[in-house]
Amino acid sequence: MAQIETNIEAKNGKGVGFERIRRITGYLVGTLDRFNDAKRAEERDRVKHGMEH
Amino acid sequence: MIKSIIKRDGRMVLYDESKIASAILRAMEAAQEGNASEAAHVANAVEAALERQGGEAPPKIEQIQDEVETQLMRMGFDAAAKKFILYRASRTRVREMNTHLMKVFNELTHADATDSDIKRSNANIDGDTPMGTMLQYGSEAAKDYYDKYLLSPEQSRAHREGWIHIHDFDFYALTTTCCQIDLLKLFKNGFSTGHGFLREPNDIQSYSALACIAIQSNQNDQHGGQSIVNFDYGLAPGVAKTYRKRYRVNLHKALELLAPEAGVTRDEVQALLETLAEKGLCPQLATDLDYLRAETQALTPRVGADAAKKAQAFALKESEAETEKATYQAMEALIHNLNTMHSRAGAQTPFSSINYGTDTSPEGRMVMRNVLLATDAGLGHGETPIFPIQIFRVKEGINYNPGDPNYDLFRLSCKVSAKRLFPNFSFIDSPFNLQYYKPGHPETEVSYMGCRTRVMGNIYDPTQEIANGRGNLSFTSINLPRLAIDSKGSETVFYEKLKSMMDLVIQQLDDRYAIQSKKRVMNFPFLMGQGVWLDSEKLGPHDEVGEVLKHGTLSVGFIGLAETLVALYGHHHGESEEMQQKGLAIVRYMREYLDARSRRTHMNYTLLATPAEGLSGRFVGMDRARYGVLPGITDREYYTNSFHIPVYYSISAYDKIRKEAPYHALTNAGHISYVELDGDTANNLEAFEGIVRCMHDCGIGYGSINHPVDRDPICGYVGVIGEVCPRCGRREGEAIPPERIQELRKLYPGAFHPCGCE
Repeated sequence: MAQIETNIEAKNGKGVGFERIRRITGYLVGTLDRFNDAKRAEERDRVKHGMEH
Repeated sequence: MIKSIIKRDGRMVLYDESKIASAILRAMEAAQEGNASEAAHVANAVEAALERQGGEAPPKIEQIQDEVETQLMRMGFDAAAKKFILYRASRTRVREMNTHLMKVFNELTHADATDSDIKRSNANIDGDTPMGTMLQYGSEAAKDYYDKYLLSPEQSRAHREGWIHIHDFDFYALTTTCCQIDLLKLFKNGFSTGHGFLREPNDIQSYSALACIAIQSNQNDQHGGQSIVNFDYGLAPGVAKTYRKRYRVNLHKALELLAPEAGVTRDEVQALLETLAEKGLCPQLATDLDYLRAETQALTPRVGADAAKKAQAFALKESEAETEKATYQAMEALIHNLNTMHSRAGAQTPFSSINYGTDTSPEGRMVMRNVLLATDAGLGHGETPIFPIQIFRVKEGINYNPGDPNYDLFRLSCKVSAKRLFPNFSFIDSPFNLQYYKPGHPETEVSYMGCRTRVMGNIYDPTQEIANGRGNLSFTSINLPRLAIDSKGSETVFYEKLKSMMDLVIQQLDDRYAIQSKKRVMNFPFLMGQGVWLDSEKLGPHDEVGEVLKHGTLSVGFIGLAETLVALYGHHHGESEEMQQKGLAIVRYMREYLDARSRRTHMNYTLLATPAEGLSGRFVGMDRARYGVLPGITDREYYTNSFHIPVYYSISAYDKIRKEAPYHALTNAGHISYVELDGDTANNLEAFEGIVRCMHDCGIGYGSINHPVDRDPICGYVGVIGEVCPRCGRREGEAIPPERIQELRKLYPGAFHPCGCE
């Protein structure tokens, strides 16, 4: 019963995070979990580039 | 009397002098000194010495071998002693390597990917699955074997110690990297994937399905990514065939309805169309007055002018709409297929790319329009597709400026890319790409692999400077920051070390090519057996492939130009024009070295801005251990990718593009530049297009725009999500009332499907 309850709760969003797609070395990975440590660190450091000429 | 000894695994066994004598005799024979009775003498002396050393415990193996060496030398058999010592050392190395391999296997078997960096070396493989783990076992064992038996000691040391990195080392003796697949050539007259023959496809659905099979099959023959060089030109015939089929069916149905008394049958309509086809007239998307007149003329006697005209109008309208829909569905299926098939060694989705943008035919445009729309729609739950990597080829006069025939598709590409991160953009007009371009010859349009690999120039065969059917053979990267740190600030020393390292890498690439060239066509049933690789159709199954492989590239790569400049001069190339010149000088030096070698050997040696995944951490980790934490060099967990301005450095998009563009011209094996935008800019289409135009104007070869793409699986929202979802208002991990979810489903149909329970 507990398992079914948890699944129902998950359907409504409990414990469910947001998916964050990022580009690593040119291809998209659906989640940062699969990145190796170095690329995770690099992704953390990334700054945005402004539009000034 | 020595009675027993202790073996390495701790067991105690009987002392057997004859074994020691045999080992000594083997060493003597190898050194060509001594004989059996002298070997026995030495064995006696060994036992006597061991006894004298005394002690309670039986002697251990190492102790005995030490004594053998001592006695051989004491009794004058120096050469034999040397042989014995060397043999002992190599056995030790083998034992240690086996232990290392077993330790790696242990980690692969028992650790979760979250805890094991080895298991995450390739983000595309799920290291936790049985097939994923099996792939990694094979990979680690292969690397061990190649290191021991195929690399020279110098190469092995350079790779092991992190001076260089031999990419895809696990496939060293097996194959080559990648290939640009020409669909037109492949599909013509059909092909085979090993069992059964696939006829030339007859509608856009089949074309799309076979395109996926082609990628999958070729992926089984090579270790790198697979790209379709002519996605638009290659699938356009499928659209045309589907249109003709739909037209035939619609025309017949209309005639039945409008002129039932004439009793025109399906076969009659078919026969009519075949007759017209023999005269070179076919129903097609583009308005062809000759065809329309000829058809009306043929039908009027049968059904009357009125019915003939009305039937034609109906057939034209319906067929176009149906073909558009069929093409959309085919593109949707292709994208789903390429995101879900796990056919690379059973554990990995093939790394697929497609190039398109320049086919101006209505069929080619229909393909492109619909692949973009299908990408925009996303996968089953609206997720962003990860494959294929899509590359839109930008070309003045074809799609770049208002008024160009495909300008609408360029605009659509920007719109889709701003949402889905693909397509990326390649630029035919950049001088180093434009030099190969011949209008009317699509095979001369530059093509990139999704990862950035580029194969255009062909010094081996200058009549075939094309992308189709060619790719990279192998690549090895140099740890530039290491060389810079080791040069202790001296530019002269740095360039000397760089030259030595390039000499070493060239030799290693050549050695690997020597192995690759001995392979036979039958080792690559699809890549060569089906004639995908350029000129492989001229070979028989048992022919060696060395000659045709010369169309490919042998590439030297590099990483961390920014950190290299900091190590040598204190600043990176983003910080000043002077550093930019220093950076260009280094890269130019490498390129000129490789050009000279290419000219001398008529082989394609090219310079690569390495796409670094596992490598970005490997080198810096080793350098930090070697040299300590050096600010701006080894103080992060990664080295900056190739010639890029560091990701953490604050610089405008335009300046970054301007600074990086000249490096594209120098890195003929492949390059890319990225710009990071925040979500707001990405949703401003004019700004987005402005960045692409800046890339074009600055002479970028291949560029990509990054921006956050987030998705809430509960309400289906796709866009930028900070702390709170803009659509449903929930935070990560929070639940929202089911009624609210229902409400949102009604408001945003198609964007949201519950996770399978309904």
